Amino acid sequence: MLDFAIYCLTIIAVWSVLGLSLNIQFGLTGLVNFGQVLPFGLGAYAAALAAQAGLPWPAGAALGLVVAVAVSLLVLLPARRLSQDYWALITLGAGELFRLTALNAPSLGGADGLTVPRFADPHLALGAALALMAVAWLMSHRIAHSPFGRLLKVLREDEVLAATLGRNPVAYQRTVSIIAWAMAAAGGVLYAHIVGYVSPSSFTVTETFIVWTALILGGPGNNLGVVVGAAAVQLLSVSSRFVASWIDLPADVLANGRLALFGLVLVLMFLFRPQGLVPEKKEVRDAQRR
Amino acid sequence: MLQVLFNSLVYASMIAVIAVGVALCYSILRFANFAHIQFAVVGGYLTYSFAAIPGLPLPAAVALSAVATGLIAILVDILVFSRLRDITPEGKMIVSWGVALFIRSVVAIIYGGGGRAFDISSEAVIVGDAVFTTLDALVVAVAAVLMLLLHLFLNRTRIGSGLRALASNADLAVTRGIPGERLIRLMWFLSGALAAIGGTLLAFETRLQPNMDLIILLPVFAAVTIGGLSNVFGAVLGALILSFAQNLLIYVDFGALVGGDSWQIPTQFRDYVAVLALVVVLLLRPRLSPLAGR
Repeated sequence: MLDFAIYCLTIIAVWSVLGLSLNIQFGLTGLVNFGQVLPFGLGAYAAALAAQAGLPWPAGAALGLVVAVAVSLLVLLPARRLSQDYWALITLGAGELFRLTALNAPSLGGADGLTVPRFADPHLALGAALALMAVAWLMSHRIAHSPFGRLLKVLREDEVLAATLGRNPVAYQRTVSIIAWAMAAAGGVLYAHIVGYVSPSSFTVTETFIVWTALILGGPGNNLGVVVGAAAVQLLSVSSRFVASWIDLPADVLANGRLALFGLVLVLMFLFRPQGLVPEKKEVRDAQRR
Repeated sequence: MLQVLFNSLVYASMIAVIAVGVALCYSILRFANFAHIQFAVVGGYLTYSFAAIPGLPLPAAVALSAVATGLIAILVDILVFSRLRDITPEGKMIVSWGVALFIRSVVAIIYGGGGRAFDISSEAVIVGDAVFTTLDALVVAVAAVLMLLLHLFLNRTRIGSGLRALASNADLAVTRGIPGERLIRLMWFLSGALAAIGGTLLAFETRLQPNMDLIILLPVFAAVTIGGLSNVFGAVLGALILSFAQNLLIYVDFGALVGGDSWQIPTQFRDYVAVLALVVVLLLRPRLSPLAGR
């Protein structure tokens, strides 16, 4: 039971990293990334490929970060200058292309995927995941409370206003994407070493929307909210296993029921509590002073 | 070469019938509705269920499925989107994914994970060195008739011009006495019904499976984007362009072109063409810049 609790905490920490990464992009900057699974998958596959080549894990981690940053720049190339509808389509397409490539390229293991050496000690995995989450949290916090972060919020509320302040929105969006994608890739590297294998079915559009559900549930723009959301979504995921053993549901009905619930949560939050469970604190500066 | 033409027409027909609904919705409500893809899947499965009713001919089953899916689309609007008219387009897009996830999972729960095929007899027709089936011809004909009817409806009827007025300037249209909300409901019905027929045609040509949505997601949105998101018949043109590009690239023997061994792009990679087309179009359309005025 303790082992199970440790595993749950580890997974929650990894998904929190993904959520924090999406929060910097959407919550802070307003970028609609529908391919959040892409940097995550790149990190995981980099870790797997490095392990297959007999390289130590830091090599895989470095490879994952470099590739994720490179791909983020590549994806940004057509997406810059574009409104958020197109941004969403481009990131969605890029994420799907990655999955299709992993599915069809024999060197990436095809549908069977690749195996990765797992952490020998689950405590170590938990420690690494919590450490990464702490780093991601601190980075998000520092960004949000820096002059850079304040400008990101301006960008989120009104891109034209940011441009009239003499700032180049594209440059800011690029910096944000590089940081956020590197963060998600680090989460992917860790995920691969925790789960022990990577396969295309772990990196579908659905995974992206599980992260979105966590973010919207917790509260976009708030770090604590993101972690609360990720914990709620993952605990819901895990606990549905116990529900299944009580009322004896087939596995696929259960998996789909869970996804239906996530979809429902996403919609209900928008309808009844768009600010999320833990709303973003609006900063009021000099607004009352004449 | 004739074969490329046939294959492209059949594929474009199915994609176009689904894609016009996305463009209709975008033109009036200004957001990319990702739940639209699920209407096609729902329509395909409903046709399957209605076709199982003894004595009900297949065309009647398709019509019933179209009406039912149109009503489901209206229901989604009443329950969700009509309450969120004033939020940002990004917000609506994210909500539409929530709706999509919900519908997709419910369909998978009801119908299970296995594939289902329609039992449709069809004969091969040989023209020169190319082959198509009578089913292919039917698919293209149905799509062409539907697009023609939609064109006539939008451009030759009072209600159609109401819809177009709503698309070009919603505030002005409502001020001039056009019943905005009622026409929006009609738009949802039309999109849902068309998606259902498109999904049914796709199911006739391939088979029904829960992950149908992932197969058509990229082609449909690429087609709509090529056509300019809010242009209904641009989406049809987009579907044709995309389909020809895909089939041509798969058909060409690149190995022989550079004088080497025969090598063709594997068919699994046709989605790359969809995304590539999307990227190229976006790169070539600087006027879509948010700073250049939406």
